[in-house]
Formats: sequence, C-alpha cells, structure tokens
Amino acid sequence: MIGGLTRMIDSVFGRGDAAVTVPSLDGALRPNRALDEATDRASLQTVDCLAMFGDTLVASAGAELFELGSNGTWDRRTDLGSTITCIASLPDGIVAALQNGDIVVHGGVRDGRRYRLDPASICMTDMAYGEGTLYVAVGSATKGADAWQRDLLERNASGSIWRIDLDSGSASRIAAGLAWPAGVVVDGNGLVFSEAWQHRLARVDLERADTPRVLIADLPGYPGRLSKGADGFWLAMFAPRSQLVEFVLREPAYRSRMMAEVPEAYWVAPRLRSGRSFYESLQGGGVKHLGILKPWAPTMSAGLCVQLDRSFQPRSSLQSRADGATHGVTCAVEHRERLFIAARGDDVIVSVARESLVTDREDGR
Amino acid sequence: MTLSDSIVRWRYRLVPDHLLGEILTKRWVDNAIPLLILACVMAVFGSLIPDFFGAASVSNLMRQWGEFGLIVMALTIVMVAGGIDLSVGSIFALGNIVALTLMHVAELPVPLVVLFTMACGAAVGLVNGLLVGFLRLRAFLTTLVTLIIVRAVVDMILLKYAVAIAAVFPDSDFWFFFGEGYVLGLPFSVVLTIGVAIVLHLVLSRTRAGWHVLAVGGSRRSAHNVGIPVRRVICATYVVSGTLAALAGVLFASRLGAAGADIGIGLEIAALTAAVLGGNSLGGGRGSAAKAVIGSVTVMIMVNSLVRIGITSGGSSLLLGLVLLGAVMIDVRWLKNRQKFLSKVYVSPTYSALPAAPATDGASPYALNDRLRPVEAIGLDRIDGPEDVILDANDNIYVGNRTGDIVRFLAPDYDQQEVFAHVGGRPLGMAFARDGSLVVCIGGMGLYRVTMDREIQKLTDETNRSWFSVIDDSRLRLADDLDIAPDGRVFFSEATVRYEMHEWPVDCLESRGNGRIICFDPNTGTTRTVLKNLVFPNGICMVHDGQSFLFAETWACRVSRYWFDGPKKGTVETVIGDLPGYPDNINRASDGTYWLALVGIRTPALDLALKMPGFRRRMARRVAPDEWLFPNINTGCVLRFDESGRVIETLWDRSGDNHPMITSMREHKGHLYIGGILNNRVGRLKLDGVDETWTAKRSYWGQS
Repeated sequence: MIGGLTRMIDSVFGRGDAAVTVPSLDGALRPNRALDEATDRASLQTVDCLAMFGDTLVASAGAELFELGSNGTWDRRTDLGSTITCIASLPDGIVAALQNGDIVVHGGVRDGRRYRLDPASICMTDMAYGEGTLYVAVGSATKGADAWQRDLLERNASGSIWRIDLDSGSASRIAAGLAWPAGVVVDGNGLVFSEAWQHRLARVDLERADTPRVLIADLPGYPGRLSKGADGFWLAMFAPRSQLVEFVLREPAYRSRMMAEVPEAYWVAPRLRSGRSFYESLQGGGVKHLGILKPWAPTMSAGLCVQLDRSFQPRSSLQSRADGATHGVTCAVEHRERLFIAARGDDVIVSVARESLVTDREDGR
Repeated sequence: MTLSDSIVRWRYRLVPDHLLGEILTKRWVDNAIPLLILACVMAVFGSLIPDFFGAASVSNLMRQWGEFGLIVMALTIVMVAGGIDLSVGSIFALGNIVALTLMHVAELPVPLVVLFTMACGAAVGLVNGLLVGFLRLRAFLTTLVTLIIVRAVVDMILLKYAVAIAAVFPDSDFWFFFGEGYVLGLPFSVVLTIGVAIVLHLVLSRTRAGWHVLAVGGSRRSAHNVGIPVRRVICATYVVSGTLAALAGVLFASRLGAAGADIGIGLEIAALTAAVLGGNSLGGGRGSAAKAVIGSVTVMIMVNSLVRIGITSGGSSLLLGLVLLGAVMIDVRWLKNRQKFLSKVYVSPTYSALPAAPATDGASPYALNDRLRPVEAIGLDRIDGPEDVILDANDNIYVGNRTGDIVRFLAPDYDQQEVFAHVGGRPLGMAFARDGSLVVCIGGMGLYRVTMDREIQKLTDETNRSWFSVIDDSRLRLADDLDIAPDGRVFFSEATVRYEMHEWPVDCLESRGNGRIICFDPNTGTTRTVLKNLVFPNGICMVHDGQSFLFAETWACRVSRYWFDGPKKGTVETVIGDLPGYPDNINRASDGTYWLALVGIRTPALDLALKMPGFRRRMARRVAPDEWLFPNINTGCVLRFDESGRVIETLWDRSGDNHPMITSMREHKGHLYIGGILNNRVGRLKLDGVDETWTAKRSYWGQS
C-alpha cells in the first residue's frame, strides 16, 4: 500500500524508480578512445563471440567459426549449420550454443556431442566451463538471442542460469527470474553473471546455491559477456545506457505503440551500431555542427570494454565514443598477452597489448 | 485514426496548455499568490463577521487604509531599492504631532501645515538616507535607531503641546476635508493613496528614476557598474519614504485630531507584513505599487476584523507575526522555484499527426541517389553557418554567418571573402529588391535592408499585437525567410513566437502553430500579420503569377500556397502535404519550377511521439535537453517541384559526408548554390540541361 503510493508519487515527480538518471562515465570508466586507437584491427562480418580452442583463438560469426591464423588473419574453420549465439572454451575443445537450442561440442573427446537444456530454451547468451560442468546463461524464456531489444523494451525478467553435467548430459537450473543474464564466468566456488537489464553483476555460490549477491550495480551500460584474464576479469558492455531509453522504458504507452508501429531498426532502443540510417531518431546533442558529430553526443551505441579486478570492481576501460568506429563490444578475451575485443556493431575485432593498456589507463588517471 | 488518438487530439485542441508557461513568464504573475491570499482573507472574515461588506464597515476600513496604504508604499519604495525603513511608524507619529501642533497651536494656513509636515518627514528620511546611502550604515540598525530617536522627539513635543492641542479646535473645513471629505464618493485619503499608487507604479515601471531604483535593489554592484549613482538613489528612496509617512500622519491628524502617546507604535511591523505579503521581495529589486496595495488591504482587513471578532490585541499581534513569517517563507520559495517551475512547464507539446511519410527508395520521386556527390565546397571551414545563399548580378555570393555578418565571396573563383556588412543578429533568409539592395531577415532583430553602399537600414521589427496572446507577440523574434512581391511588398515568415533563435528545434517538440507570416509594405511603412498559427513557417517564394507565394511549414512537413492578391485573395491551398522530411527554404528554378530544401528527414519514432503529446511533455521535463528526441536534421536533401505539387527530382548525398545539413539552395547561371545553418561551407553543384544564363534577379525584376 505504502509502496504503491510511493511509486505513484515517484512517477509524478520522476523520482526513485521513475528517475531516468544514468550514472556518468567516471573514474575507471572515464571516456577514452582506446578502442578506436587500437591499430590492430581485423574485419569479420557479424563477429560475435570469442573463445580459446587450446592455444588458438576462435571467433563465432553467424553460423561459422573462424580461427586466428599465425599471420593475424581470420580463417574459416567450420560451419555449424545454425546461427551460433555464443561459444565457450573446454579443456580440449570448444562448445557452441546454437539458435535452434542445441549446445554442440567441437573438438576434443566429446566432439560432436549435443546437449539441450530444455525444449524451450533457445536464448543462450554465454557459457562457462568449470570442472566437468558447463554453466549456461539463458537471456530470456520467450525471446531469441537476437531479439534482445524487444526483451528489454518489454521489461522482461525471464532469464535463467543452468548447469549441464557434460558427462551425463543432465541439466539443472541454478537461478531464474533474471533480467537478461548475458555473461557468466566461474570464480572459485561461485559463478558470477551479468544481468543486463538490471545493469549489474551478481555472484551465486555454487555449493550453497543461495540467492545471488550483487557485486556491482548501476553500471552505465548493459553488461554482457565476462571472461577471465590474467589478473582479473573482462566485461564487454554491448550498449550504453541513455536517459532517453530509460525514459522510454518508463512510458508503457509509447513503448507498446513503438514496438507495434515503428520498424524495429528505428526504435528508440540501445543498439550495437547506431547512426547509420536517417530514419533512426536523433537526440539533441547528436545534431552535427559544422559537419562534426560531437564525441559526447548522446548515442544508442558505443564501445565499452571494462577491466575488472579480482573482486569485480572496474579498474580501467577501453571505449569507443559516439563518433567512434568500434561500437557494440560483444566479447573480450585475453590471448598471448593481448586483449582481443569483438565489436559486433562494426564487424571488427581489435586487439591491444595487455601491458600497454593497464599502464596507460593508470597513468591517465 | 483510433478513438484514443481522437480523444488526445481534442484534449490538446481544447486545452491551451501553453498558456500556463506563458503566464509564468509575466512579471505580474508575482501578484497571483498575494491576490489569492487577499481573496481568502476576504472570504473568511466576510463569512465570520456579519455586515462585513456593509457600507459603514467598508467606509471606515477604507479611510484607515488610506493612511496605512501610504505607509506601506513608503516602505515598499525603500524595499525595492534593497533597503528597509523601520522608522515609518515613528515618522507617521511625528507627522501627526507636527501637523497638529502647527494647526492647533501655531495656527498656520493649511497648505503650509501640509508642506511643513512633509518637509519634516523628508528631513528624517534624509538623515536615514545619508546614513544608509552615503555612510553605508546598515539599514536595519540605522532605521531602528531613527525609530527610537523620532519616537523620543514625538514624546517631547507631546509633553509640551498636548494640552494646547486638545484645547483648540481649528476652524477650517479645508483641514477636515483631508480626514473626512469625499471625492467622487470615495474618502479623500483613499483617492490620495490611489493617486500616489498610480504615480509610484508609473515611476517604477516607466521612468528612468524607477528603473534605477529597481536596478539598485536587484544588484547593487551591477547598478554601480553600469553607472547608476547608487548612493544617491538609495538616499532618495529614504527621503520619499519619510515624506509619504509624514503625509499619512497629516491625514491621521485631520481625521482624529488626537495627540496620543501610542500612535504609530508597532505600525512598522504591520507595514512590513503588508509589503512582504503583497509580494515585495525583502531582498530588493522586485516590487510594485500594486503589490503594496494588495498587501496593505489584506493586512488592514485582518487587523480590523480581528478587533471586531473580539480577539485581544496580543492575539492580533501574534497572528500578524505569524503571517509575516509565512509571507517571508513564500517569498523565498517562490523566488527560488519560479524559474525552475517555468522551465519545466514552458515546453507544452500538442497533438500533431503527420500523414504517412513517402518512401525514399524504389520508384519514389524521393528515392535516394548520390547526385550531391559532385558538390564543390566554397569557403570550407571559413564560414560558420550560411543559412541562405544569394548571388548578385556580378555572380558574387552573399551568405549570413553565426557571428552576425553578411559575408561576400567574390566571383569568379570565390577564394576571397569579405565581410559585406556586420548586422549583429543572425542573418537568415535574403532577397534582392528591385533597386538592387539586399533585404535580409535577421533572427533576433527583424527585417533589414542592406544597400549596395553597405548601409544597414531597419525596415521593421514589430507587427500588430494579437488581442488574445498572453506573450507580447508584436516584437519579431525569429524572422526567418522572405520574398518580395512585384509591387515591393515584403512577405516574411516568423518561425515561432514562443522561442528564441537558438531554441528552434525545441519548437518541433511542441509542433503547435506558433509561427506566422507577416507583410511589410514599404510604400506605407506598415507591418501586418497576414497568416497566423502556422507550424514553423520557413521558406517563402513568390509564384510567377505575382499574386501568390509558396510557403513551407517545417514541422508540419508541407508546402502551401497563399494568394495575397487577385480573385483567390486570402486563400491557402496545400501544394505538397506529405513530405518525407522537414522543408526549409524555397526558391525559383530556371524552368519555372521550384527548388525546396529538406533540412532533415522524418523518423518513425518521432512521428509516433508527435501523436503522443503527454510523452513529449514528460520528456521535456524529465530528460536533459541534449538527450531529447529531435527531428533528424543531420541528413537533408534538395528537391524540385512544380506549382501542382508534383515532385520532379530529388538530390541526395547518400553518405552525408560531402554536404551535411542543407537549409537553402539558389540556382544561378547553371549552378545550384547550397547553404546550411549548421554547416561550414557553401556548396556549388553544376546543373545539367538548364538555361545557363538564368538568374533569379532577372526572373523577379526582368532585364534591368
């Protein structure tokens, strides 16, 4: 009763839950152009996820897997027949989740073996391996992995996290009712996952299976895949949050009419890549002056890759701003002292030397 | 249209939301709360006290108010200049006793008595003024001391002459007229006070002296910096205050003829309460005679009614103190929050359903292409925002820029540029008149003419004021584009009357008919509004028949035609009703058709928002302006159409790199020259298959 009343007052004044404030990029997330300044760039259409196959870096793009050749080129390795939604490393191979709901092993002793969570789960967003078990994040119970914008605009929270015993193939659910879990990583005896629509990272204890504990909340972007680095973790934030989107999320009438009447490509919604069509809505600060788009312009897409320390607090970040060319970071993986970042928005994989990166950011601070 | 859309449409058609914001921009809205309080007080006591509105009661109240009102006005003048005068009560008592002594004891003629008494008050005021104004003592302490000293003087005079005053009864009708006479059925004191109030109002609002007082109260340092003699102004306010307080004393003396010891005690608190309750700011700079009148009437009614209800004097003082406290609180909160509130409610969107946007692909006349790719850039990075482009007989290019110049690029290669004229405002639309002078719409200034000798002449900067407009719409805020009829009449558009130049995209959020088209007739020198309630009227171009012109309404995405002469005079017809983007300038093409610039392309998300005014209103309140949903003015195009509204061709720059942002274009000798209000270049495109000798000048004014 009191809660309902408070919400009503909040919605009139735009306070509390109705506030559309977005945390500013500050501290470790201070704006920079590190992603655009990276000189090592390789174009790969619809590149999405990265994983290690033994000592080889593998990327998924569409239904295909590519591997990084010794001369720095990306060579086609195999075609899995259905769009790959995510891949993860196994000790002796990799595992790929497909849009049709199958999870298929590629390479190693289990090569070709297929797993399934339950018939309805087709929206695998990220996977992580730990001690004979595969942990799988399922973004939504009702939408496919590519319909993430609709899932956000419908304000769903139907995602879940599963575990699959790779030997027996049995699947069980660890957590449910999550707002688009988009990344998982094993951390000791726990599992850390990102909850995109709640803009937070949380940890669930695998032994006690208690309720998840929030590690960091109110991130300025939508957190996606997580990966383990040499000295901490990497978080790919696939889209920035914006005041306008937060506002639209609080306008049910406009949201539903927009989803019904406006073509999906022109929605007011975060995006992996924006600004390519003049049918996309423009925001005040995005008006070009003298032919120049301001770097600080409000944008529906950006490049955001965050280095986290061992306790999952941000240490530094690599970014591509509104006027940049490395938007929609979907995955970041460390490989041979370099950090490889897949930016699906711009169909590019960039890599930077890990050493230069950390010192750079700390000097800059 | 769905039912809910119709309901929303009618809701926004019937309720003029924008008026709230406009009323709040008015200075007189400061009086709203005091007036409300006055109404409440009258309602409460009117119902509590029988015969409250009876003739005797009102007459008695009015006579007392005459004196009290003068004192409140005296205090108001000082407060407006940023000071405070606590000695008004004592000066009032002094005026009373001096007037009585002069009348009863010295038996001077009445005019001399009045003059001398007022001089007495002025002298005390001068002491205050010298101490506060010139010696810069604290107003509060100084006038507190004067209060005590003057009170002591009054007591001394009282001791000496009280008996003598009581013993004599002056034999002068003229003297008693002050206190008991009627003018036009009103007590004399009331008429006098109203007269003083009118004079004070005129002085504060219409004269240099009044503006000086307000300026000093608003910011002493700024007033000093602009050269106002701050000390003298402050001193003068105390002198006027003392004079008025003494005048009130004269009225009181004439009315009661009493020489009591408690006259005027506590009056300063009542006067202060009245002044603040009326809305005069304690900090200075904000106040008026009307506020003083409202406040004094309120307090007068309260004090008298409390006595009549039977509340003891202690209770009455307590209530007065509480009211003062409340008034001060409202004063502070109102001052602090008014602008905040205004900024939240000023943007008031309305329902606007645009027709479905035509496609920009396939067989559509608007289909994308790369025909603007070969555009050459003139003055790249050397010109800031050429909204309109025009060429003279010698092929020189004239453009306006953001810093208020009209810049000329010299033919034939346009490498050299010079400032042709510095006009100060934002030059927008331009046209050459028959005599070869350049007529320019200047945003923020109005309609101007620059002769070829570079002489800048104002043609007009105001039009007739609308009867029912809350904001003053006589002044031109955003003259946008113009064209000249064969008889020399200049028709120009004013895009919006609600926003300033740099806020023009905000007007799109409202999408209300805020704009108009105005005609300036150089033959008679008159300016009159010819079309009102247009949705951001922008480009204007004369049709070849010499009786009508085409005009573009940017946020309505349509081009219409208006007949100002001939058999169809006064009618408006839509020529193109469903543009895929936002039209800007229109100009003649060499083959009798017309060029039209689209400054931006409609986006489906904004088109939907236009049908949901509530959504846009909340967005304007909650979301930072830089994050607002805007019309997409980053990509534009040029198109050509004929009088029937048929679109003949469209010129695009697909990548948007070569010529971003288009607001105007002008054909001249086989080339198209393109301008953009946020651009850093003038574009030049070779046209194929057109008359390479054609110029707009010849098309308008023939071979001359």
